[in-house]
Amino acid sequence: MVSALPGVSAPAVGEPAFVRRALIAVTVIFLGVFLFAPLAVIFASAFGQGVAAYFRSFQDPDTIAAIRLTLLAAAIAVPANVVFGVAAAWTIGKFEFVGKNVLISLIDLPFSVSPVVAGLIYVLLFGAQGVLGPWLTAHDIHIIFAVPGIVLATIFVTFPFVARELLPTMIAQGSDEEEASLTLGAGGWQTFMRVTLPNVRWALFYGVILCNARAMGEFGAVSVVSGHIRGLTNTMPLQIEVLYNDYQFVPAFAVASLLALLALATLVIKSFVEWRAGTTKEVTF
Amino acid sequence: MASRYHQGGNVLSITVANVTKRFGTFTALDDVSLEISAGRLVALLGPSGSGKTTLLRIIAGLEFAESGAIRFDGQDISDRAAGERRVGFVFQHYALFRHMTVFENVAFGLRVRPRGERPTRQQIRDRVGDLLDLIQLRSQAGRYPSQLSGGQRQRVALARALAVEPRVLLLDEPFGALDAKVRQELRRWLRQLHDDVGVTSVFVTHDQEEALEVADQVAVMNQGRIVQVGTPDEVYNHPANSFVYNFLGNVNLFHGRVDNGMTYINQDATGDLIFARPHALEITRNANGPNHFRATTKHINAAGPLVKIEVITEWGAPVHIEMAQERFRDLALNKGEEVYIIPRDLAIFEATHGDFTPSR
Repeated sequence: MVSALPGVSAPAVGEPAFVRRALIAVTVIFLGVFLFAPLAVIFASAFGQGVAAYFRSFQDPDTIAAIRLTLLAAAIAVPANVVFGVAAAWTIGKFEFVGKNVLISLIDLPFSVSPVVAGLIYVLLFGAQGVLGPWLTAHDIHIIFAVPGIVLATIFVTFPFVARELLPTMIAQGSDEEEASLTLGAGGWQTFMRVTLPNVRWALFYGVILCNARAMGEFGAVSVVSGHIRGLTNTMPLQIEVLYNDYQFVPAFAVASLLALLALATLVIKSFVEWRAGTTKEVTF
Repeated sequence: MASRYHQGGNVLSITVANVTKRFGTFTALDDVSLEISAGRLVALLGPSGSGKTTLLRIIAGLEFAESGAIRFDGQDISDRAAGERRVGFVFQHYALFRHMTVFENVAFGLRVRPRGERPTRQQIRDRVGDLLDLIQLRSQAGRYPSQLSGGQRQRVALARALAVEPRVLLLDEPFGALDAKVRQELRRWLRQLHDDVGVTSVFVTHDQEEALEVADQVAVMNQGRIVQVGTPDEVYNHPANSFVYNFLGNVNLFHGRVDNGMTYINQDATGDLIFARPHALEITRNANGPNHFRATTKHINAAGPLVKIEVITEWGAPVHIEMAQERFRDLALNKGEEVYIIPRDLAIFEATHGDFTPSR
């Protein structure tokens, strides 16, 4: 027989009430000061001169060009990194080979390198004084201070997101299900499409969201390779800086509010992804 | 009845011919040969690392041997991919597709067939329905694997493997991850299922009881080799060597020597191996005849159909003895009592160049 000690009813891992309240208070204050207040300031400043002024901000051709360029960079960087991330996570998660740990470290490299350095790498490679510079100039190919450089820098900076999200899931799942699929007569491609990919779909989706958020919000690396040519090589974050430095606060905060909205949307989608769990399906024969 | 679950699949024999497989420097299978007749249920029995799972995976086409061949009905299929062999494979941890319902799991093998061979939706629905009836899980068709118990998952894995009408059914430790009660039920169920479906089946286990109870034939494996193949009766009662005897049940080991038909038991670790199963040793209060040794009772466990008693011999070694409850009551044994042990049946393996072979 097992019986509880008489008179002991508090949970084993219980802190006194004041400790709990203090911890909650610290968390709320911290979040308020560092997260909610800045967000509120962005929207307050953006709408500071009314809704009309806010929407007028988006009629500036340079701002429109910046939004376009940001969307373009993300539209190239995200699919590229999805392909790369799935391939890398699949290789690392399902196979054993020499140099696996080196590959994992390499994937993390963009996280550990400062974005400014990442941008400089491309300048040193493709810039006029760079390694490939003379050859590129001779063939009239513009990478640095042009759109290709911005896309390259964005790809570099966002490249760990998808692979990093997929790796733990793929490693944890092993390859039993793939083997089962093969013994049931499915081919390699069928197995990938019907078993491997659906099993990691939420991790993949999450990786894509994070990758996209960073692709649109990246400042440092893009700033180095951009050259800040208004209407040509400014992305949204760069345009925000330019506008702000010109004392155009409403347009600056209006564009900033777009990025903030993107972040909020990302959070909402992320919560939805995490909330969505397997539920029973009706099957009729 | 059988045709309902197994329409087109012809039952075939499996030949494993001189298969060798290495992982780095480790030899998982060392020149293994095995003949499995059509329609049999065969157990590959051995301790972990004996190569039994590797052999099963090579038969399935999930691993490939360095040398040797696998033949189905005499036809060499060594180079064929798993999908082309038409084997049903049941994984130790089920490997159900976690993002698919029970229904979709079972239907998978039918859905991935090339367009020309793919059954119609209605045919798939009928066949999956039949299989779900067979495993008594029709009501759970819409559930996901995570919502099922271990025993239910194992049955779904079996139904999924059977859906493709395999010519051979391979099971890797099919009951290893289940609790004792469910395991017992599923064992009988598997035996029944095999008798109904009739497909040649091979299962891997490290549990001798399971192998002896379920299989028609048992292949005992050790260190990458097959040590003995036979019916459960043959391997249990006529073990090929000391390893098989030792592996197929609880034993007490005595070292000793056989001389002129007389068996001498002593504690010295050289000489021949003398085994006694716990139920083949009798405890008495009075020694009559020369065949006995003295011991003191140390532990008595009377829970269960047999009473388990540990005694310490006069030379200080622990020995395990089992006896029926009635006999135990008649004896009225106490802990710490001095008793006589009479060996009723000893298995003697003579030391012949490193291997111990039976002495009869």
